[in-house]
Amino acid sequence: MKEWEYHPPPDIDATMIESLRDFPRQPYMLVYAMRSLAALLLRGWMKIYHRLKVVGCENLPESGSFILVCNHTSHLDTLSLLTAIPLKRIHRTFPAAAADYFFSSLPRSAMSTILINALPFDRKLKGAESLTICAQLLANDGNILIIFPEGTRTTTGKMGRFRSGIGRLVAGTDLPVIPCHLAGGIKAWPKGKVLPRPHKLRLNIGAPQTFGHLEKNAESVRSICQNLEDRVAQLGSSDA
Amino acid sequence: MTIEAALSNDIFLTYLVIVGSILAFAGVVLGALTLIGKDVSSIWKTYRGWLVMIPLVFGTIFLGRTATIIGVTLLAIFGFKEFARATGLYDDWWFAGTVYVAITVLGVASIVTDPRLQSVGWYGMFMALPVYVIATILLIPIIRNRAKGQLQRVALAIVGFVYFGWMFSHLGFLANTPYAYGYLLYLIFAVEINDVAAFTCGKLFGRHKLRENISPNKTIEGSLGAVAVSMVIPWLLWFSFPHFDALQLILTGLIVGVGGQVGDLVISYIKRDIGIKDMGVTISGHGGILDRVDSMIFVAPIFFHMVRWFHGLS
Repeated sequence: MKEWEYHPPPDIDATMIESLRDFPRQPYMLVYAMRSLAALLLRGWMKIYHRLKVVGCENLPESGSFILVCNHTSHLDTLSLLTAIPLKRIHRTFPAAAADYFFSSLPRSAMSTILINALPFDRKLKGAESLTICAQLLANDGNILIIFPEGTRTTTGKMGRFRSGIGRLVAGTDLPVIPCHLAGGIKAWPKGKVLPRPHKLRLNIGAPQTFGHLEKNAESVRSICQNLEDRVAQLGSSDA
Repeated sequence: MTIEAALSNDIFLTYLVIVGSILAFAGVVLGALTLIGKDVSSIWKTYRGWLVMIPLVFGTIFLGRTATIIGVTLLAIFGFKEFARATGLYDDWWFAGTVYVAITVLGVASIVTDPRLQSVGWYGMFMALPVYVIATILLIPIIRNRAKGQLQRVALAIVGFVYFGWMFSHLGFLANTPYAYGYLLYLIFAVEINDVAAFTCGKLFGRHKLRENISPNKTIEGSLGAVAVSMVIPWLLWFSFPHFDALQLILTGLIVGVGGQVGDLVISYIKRDIGIKDMGVTISGHGGILDRVDSMIFVAPIFFHMVRWFHGLS
């Protein structure tokens, strides 16, 4: 008789805390259940409390991996984008979140992992390493990555320059990048405030862009960033 | 079992004093060893684990019958989860999820009143559940229209449910008996003493390997020493079950002494077959849940049916 093969998970020797910070993370039933419940509650809250209006949902590809890029005014950006994504894809949607902020303590790591499914992104030291993790993630079919190319929340309401990471990630690949713009976030939940105010939000989702025709070099990275920055800004100005 | 009952129950209070004294004594000894410069860091880690676990155990039993059954059910669920993750069964959420639900139903059957006999805990349902659960597990491949690899999953799920779920849950069902405090506290205490005795006797007199392909550190001398110790303890702690006669005390000693070590070896060969050292790292210094309750899984159901045969459950 041939013997069975067992496949113990790689994190079997990791403590709960270690596996919270580990990425890619192992699927846990309880975590999935809690995340699905949180996503449902979030949908209701965004629609009722913030009267969130989503325009351009048809621009989201129905299958395959893609990237969402958005302006970054508050935590509501991530929450609005998560609301726009179909519920069944929520567990394969990864908002890139600053590791120094969202994974700084155990309760925060737990929240980021369980409720948001955040991808710990090291924006200071290991940017290249974090980009590699993103690229590996997107290589698996059906994953969604949320990126805020400004790298931090704006405090003035004016959109910052897009940093080069997104360009390096997609130059020469056929990954669709979808520019998005959230209006109202800065008034609803400015940086530094503990709780959001019931201000109206509007999310514009633009047409997918691909950059397969460009070569992987510094120049095309710059042009991709500029292109996406302009498109996000344009989505924002069409609201005004 | 209620909070008021626990406060006025001599058995509960006596165990509290015994275990508290042992813990305090061990703490003093460890402290003294550290002072004279011995390296006891790994024992400290284990000791700190006990400092967390013992209050949890007493606290749960103190809170009463329902809390005890819920506690055992949670241990069974998370114990099964460790088994499922180690074997890879956890990747298939249909099977793992079904066993989760089934273990929860075991807990519910242990808590509710028998609708016909009006006895505390639905014994008939508790004993019949493996039939329904195994039937459900066998149905899963048919519902999903799959054949490849299904026997392995079905087999792992059945072992997972019957051994880690159903057999272990007998411990919780003991909470429904009039001598719940005595039975539960005795079992938990004696099983741990049995473990310690096997380890200590093995260290002191160990020469011949017991089962070198399964657990290379266990020795025949350690094992016999543990059985000897376990045969004595029922007489010393007779107050836990004053209605037992000599035969029942001997059986209790044998069940804990032999059964405890068998349970330990069962988890050992499961781990060795899979190729892992510990089932998890849930308890610092103790490994996973299954590494801690391994002996109890084997002892609890056999003790339960011995008690039921001689004295019934009410």
